[in-house]
Amino acid sequence: MTGPILSLRSVCKSFPQGGLLDRLLGRDSRLVALDDVSLDVMRGDVVGIVGESGSGKSTLAGLAVGLARPTSGEVLLDGQPMTELMRNHAGPWRRRVQMVFQDSSSALNPRKSVARCLGETLALRGVPKVRRESEITELLTLVGLGPEIGPRLPHELSGGQRQRIGLARALAMKPEVLIADEPVSALDVSLQAQVINLLSRLTRELGLTLLFISHDLALVRTLCSRIVVMRKGAIVEQGPCLDVLERPRHPYTQALIAAVPKGLAGRRTPSPALADAGADPETREDIHGAA
Amino acid sequence: MSGLRNALDDLDWSGWLGAGIVGLILFAAVFAPLIAPYDPLALDIEDRLAAPDGSHWLGTDQGGRDVLSRILFGARASLSVGIGAVLIGAAIGVSAGIFAAYKGGLGEQVVMRVVDGVASIPLLVWAIAIVGILGVGPLPVGPLLLPNEVKIVVLVGCLFSPVFARVTYAVAKRVAGADYVRARFLQGASHWQIVAGEVLPNCLSPIIVQGTLLVAIGIVIEASISFVGLGVQPPQPSWGTMLSDARSAIYSGEWWLPVFPGLAISLTVIGFNLLGDAVRDLLDPRSEARTLVA
Amino acid sequence: MSPALLSVEGLRVGFRSADGGMVEAVRGVDFSVAPGEAVGIVGESGSGKSLSMLAVMRLLGAPARVTGGRVILDGEDLLAVDEKRMRALRGRDIAMVFQDPQSSLNPALTIGRQITDVVGAHRNVSTREARRIAAEALERVGIRDAAGRLASYPHEFSGGMRQRVLIAMAIACRPRLLIADEPSTALDVTVQARIVDLIAELRRELGLAVVFISHNLQLVAEIVDRVVVMYGGKVVEDGPVEAIELAPRHPYTGLLKACVPSLSGPVGPLTAIEGAPPRLGRLPAGCPFSPRCPDAVEPCASEMPALVADAGHRTACWRPR
Repeated sequence: MTGPILSLRSVCKSFPQGGLLDRLLGRDSRLVALDDVSLDVMRGDVVGIVGESGSGKSTLAGLAVGLARPTSGEVLLDGQPMTELMRNHAGPWRRRVQMVFQDSSSALNPRKSVARCLGETLALRGVPKVRRESEITELLTLVGLGPEIGPRLPHELSGGQRQRIGLARALAMKPEVLIADEPVSALDVSLQAQVINLLSRLTRELGLTLLFISHDLALVRTLCSRIVVMRKGAIVEQGPCLDVLERPRHPYTQALIAAVPKGLAGRRTPSPALADAGADPETREDIHGAA
Repeated sequence: MSGLRNALDDLDWSGWLGAGIVGLILFAAVFAPLIAPYDPLALDIEDRLAAPDGSHWLGTDQGGRDVLSRILFGARASLSVGIGAVLIGAAIGVSAGIFAAYKGGLGEQVVMRVVDGVASIPLLVWAIAIVGILGVGPLPVGPLLLPNEVKIVVLVGCLFSPVFARVTYAVAKRVAGADYVRARFLQGASHWQIVAGEVLPNCLSPIIVQGTLLVAIGIVIEASISFVGLGVQPPQPSWGTMLSDARSAIYSGEWWLPVFPGLAISLTVIGFNLLGDAVRDLLDPRSEARTLVA
Repeated sequence: MSPALLSVEGLRVGFRSADGGMVEAVRGVDFSVAPGEAVGIVGESGSGKSLSMLAVMRLLGAPARVTGGRVILDGEDLLAVDEKRMRALRGRDIAMVFQDPQSSLNPALTIGRQITDVVGAHRNVSTREARRIAAEALERVGIRDAAGRLASYPHEFSGGMRQRVLIAMAIACRPRLLIADEPSTALDVTVQARIVDLIAELRRELGLAVVFISHNLQLVAEIVDRVVVMYGGKVVEDGPVEAIELAPRHPYTGLLKACVPSLSGPVGPLTAIEGAPPRLGRLPAGCPFSPRCPDAVEPCASEMPALVADAGHRTACWRPR
């Protein structure tokens, strides 16, 4: 029996607020982004982390990937404390956790071609120069792109293509854990489905553990096996994805579910046709007190 | 480089004009000994204060020296101070700006407050004061003797550095927070690799624009310092000393003495400003896509 | 059919491209809005949905400009009236709220001042009366202690509250048409739901006609009577919301609905639309969706199908479903 690949033990994270002068005068306050969060992610899990702005879900992603250190508590990667691993910045542990970013236009260096971006990534993994070109082609194929895209610059790509390159770059390190922070929220709806299907296929085929951070419950339902609902820096509910979405226990989870647009089923104004059919317009009074 | 060729195709008329003026002045400075019709130092008492004519296109000064030749040779002093000061200022300022933006925390605060301090010095006044204190003769630094021009270049360069530091800091701060920098960090790239490969290249365009604009200011500062007699020493020609010598001529009617060096300064400043604006447009990697954004 | 409040006829918007030519982004758009009707305009980036409505408001900035068509509001062609007349109509008869509430408010002025300015520009009322109208508008959009909040600055409000302030500003002069351009997209989901509720409620209470621009068909379907689907600068389908939701005729509408997962039904791979939305200036001669359309046949790529009406449901497709 192996332990969790990633676990957070009573993690807190806060940021100082106020300028230098405030800090010198001891007038600073701290913004608490995560408050005593514990979470175990098992190998091969696809975990959806949902919440709204200020819920701490992106802070959690940053801690899990080693971009930041917790103020207190511990992040463990395969049982080893992240703070110890981080002493050796470029250590082999770096490869094990990678990240896909939200905004595909800021995720790629605007002055580097796709091939150069992936090539430099492979170089850091220690792939010898002679093998890089073929590996770049393999990576591009993996994310559903052709080798002709190699010489292009990011602004010559569509948003969907850029997001696939961001995914290819993360996969180039052969990670075990992939953290995707709102990877499709900036994409057109017709492209979201492509990227979600790709993520779903790759996590299965490569046996990845995926933390999918999103505000979109319906996407999480499609992709994830587990769901973690966060609010104001704390986990309010977690469990198997379908169970939680069908029988939410926390009022906040219920509010999130109620807020998902439902098309005709969620009509707020009785249209003549629906009124005739006797449909009952949903008022959603239940979420008015939720923010 | 096909990128450069495409960029040149996009250059508009004002960009071409700026590039043309700057090119012309660089050419004049480099090839002054070949193209100048007379020796800029040769006195000719017979032919003093001659109005522009066929033999002296821009006339002669109080010593009978050819004004055109002196302007061509004067371009050397002006450009070397302008460009030299910008290179020194950029070296100091860009390093400081990138360090502060990338490092963050206390280092950021300290560096940027020092920059604020230096920036609060009134540029021209201090340059004149310091050269005045050090004197116009060569300055011994250990075994080396620094000529007056080098002093001015270093001094103006130091005074330019906060401008570069602030421009660099503003862009680098944004670039350093971009996800592609995070991604590189997550791959285990060293700080040096990240700064040299990701941060610096994406900060260059405003730095270069600032540089071209500051060359123009450097030229004006050189002229000002020379004007008050602390820069290039007579009989060596410089636009500033030429203007200074022309002071008396303003009332006695030898208009060509102040007008032509003055025009040379204005034209150079305009040239570098136009070039700076054009370079800003060229260096945007998205300049082609920009018109198609809906 | 009642006479239209707003009718857009053959609207075209173009951009001057780098080589001096014109690139069309809105290519002949027709639709109308009846008094009190709520119409959703749905499309992805590059569909021309926002540009069309900015053209209606005459708010296009360079390099975009209207290259053809008419926009008739109550018998008056908005594209033909002078700027003075347009300023009078804007805010009084027709108002617009935008996606980003942050940049739509002046951070240096109190919201009371900003709303009373709008009121003062259109109605000849005293300052005291203008403030009363402003407070009433704030109250109507659900801001508690409205009179007291008039002295607040935009930064004292949350994103959702700022959007409410903007909506209050838009309805303060009782316009007959409110255009909302993705008013909830930048907001959190629970806040989004409440903003959409608010717009539906205002429409009911004030008898407003609403044009709701969104990329989200499911969201739009909750509050509108009719949906106009745009793609590549053209209207591809326009019909009653029930028809669009239950029996879409254009393949794009069907796929757009299918590629967004819902909270019910089986879990499995999503229906994806292959390819990417068209880029400006690179549109096929025929149907703009033809390169991505699974049903594309012979004439699709070369010839644009006409927008054919059938009992209030218009479709531009060679092979409607």
